[in-house]
Amino acid sequence: MWLRFILGIALALLLGGQASAYRAYVANERSNTVSLIDTDSWKVVKTIEVGQRPRGIAYTKDQKYVLVACGDDDTIQMIDTSTNTVSGTLPSGPDPEFFTASPDGKFLYVANENDNTVTIIDIARRAQNGAVQVGVEPEGMAMSPDGKILINTSETTNMAHFIDPAKREVVASVLVDQRPRFAAFTPDGSELWVSSEVGGTVSVIDPVKRVVKQKIEFAIAGMRPDPIQPVGINITSDGKLAFIALGPANHVAVVDVKTHKVIKYLLVGERVWHMAFTPDGKYLLTANGVSNDVSVIDVAALKVVNTVQVGELPWGIAMSDH
Amino acid sequence: MKHAGFFFVLLVIVSALVAPARAADPRYPDWPCVQPKVPELSTASMWDGPSIADVGGSWQNDPKVKDLVALIAARRTPMDAAQKAIAAFITGTADEKQQKAKEVFAGVFDTLSAQRSEVMGGLERVSRKEMDLATKIEADVNDLHAIEDKTGADQAKIKTLGSEIEWSTRIFEDRRKTIRYVCDVPTTIEQRIFGLARAIEQALN
Repeated sequence: MWLRFILGIALALLLGGQASAYRAYVANERSNTVSLIDTDSWKVVKTIEVGQRPRGIAYTKDQKYVLVACGDDDTIQMIDTSTNTVSGTLPSGPDPEFFTASPDGKFLYVANENDNTVTIIDIARRAQNGAVQVGVEPEGMAMSPDGKILINTSETTNMAHFIDPAKREVVASVLVDQRPRFAAFTPDGSELWVSSEVGGTVSVIDPVKRVVKQKIEFAIAGMRPDPIQPVGINITSDGKLAFIALGPANHVAVVDVKTHKVIKYLLVGERVWHMAFTPDGKYLLTANGVSNDVSVIDVAALKVVNTVQVGELPWGIAMSDH
Repeated sequence: MKHAGFFFVLLVIVSALVAPARAADPRYPDWPCVQPKVPELSTASMWDGPSIADVGGSWQNDPKVKDLVALIAARRTPMDAAQKAIAAFITGTADEKQQKAKEVFAGVFDTLSAQRSEVMGGLERVSRKEMDLATKIEADVNDLHAIEDKTGADQAKIKTLGSEIEWSTRIFEDRRKTIRYVCDVPTTIEQRIFGLARAIEQALN
């Protein structure tokens, strides 16, 4: 009886431990590497050599690969997650920076910074499947939860382009503040949030009417407005809180999604860029480009609880499902 | 005429090298770096601890704080040694620790911000010299073309002007490499302030 009880506890502890250990892949733009962080020990367990200037990074839906956009090599590399080595490439356009996948995981939509296009890639065939002309310097990419609208932001045109993925054409464009960097839908698809790096705001767009319904502004006590440059946006799966990375302000703003009010600013690392939640929603990891580290935010406590040193100029993070 | 093609190419290169520096940010025409110029740092972007507004320059009155700041601000002191020195100093009651932390951070921020401003001022001075030199090279190349285009051109003059242009270009290129290297220094200083601020806060908590 006792033996069974002890074994039961041991098993529960073991499974509990395993359940929280996710893998975070961090693209280091300057050192041309990807750091693999174990979220149980909060340590870098492997550093993977990749192509030049790795930035956008994400898992494939089947979790077999981590894709990383290597801008200066004009390609997307595929890291095999069973061996943690680069095992193939996908053909993007010139200078790929960021990408998003179709909800079924079959197609990849890639923003190519240098030729004003979004390239569509068939992941299984590892081949291009078309392209959509967008504004100058395309960057942010987001797919609506229902998969019907693809968003691309163009840094120089200052617009969020609404793309019909079936027709492969821009069906609407919404003007936002200067240098839009990133786009994210709320989980229910009712709002589209677009960050403007130079404008210093996040535009909240009604995706049905396709108009900006509110702009969120940021102010940190004792700081001039110029370093406040919003980039990454991550919204909790329950749709209650949004975290906005404020670049060289070194802070992440926590915003109440319902009221659009900032409720807290968290000091993380220097030049905070893109972020990723652990799948259980307990932690948010932030890539800090100048301090060359990743901050770990406890989402419930709204507190930075750990810092992990990675490679040079960490840009973005891909998080495993399990 | 044999120099003309070479110096034309040179002129294009020099102009191209100078142009991005001038165009980067209209507010700072002399700023030569790809990295955007941030004239002043704010403590709010580095420090989450108690306000240092009441500290001012008073940290300099305590020789122990002054010595510690000099030690940890120096680039030759490894970060882990700096962290240990900070932890060894910030001790005592909660109030004592808080006061010490405020003074050490104020000292670090003042010292390293001043160093950063000095480096940035130096970069802009060199950048202005570089632009003046580019203008001189441009004028010399035009003079050379004018002389070469004349019939019965003075070969001795062409030779002297040619070697002067080559020499100026070499200086220009050397300075450009130095500027590129020094452009990273303000960021390195910021990293140091940020790292020390974190270590001070850790010692405090």
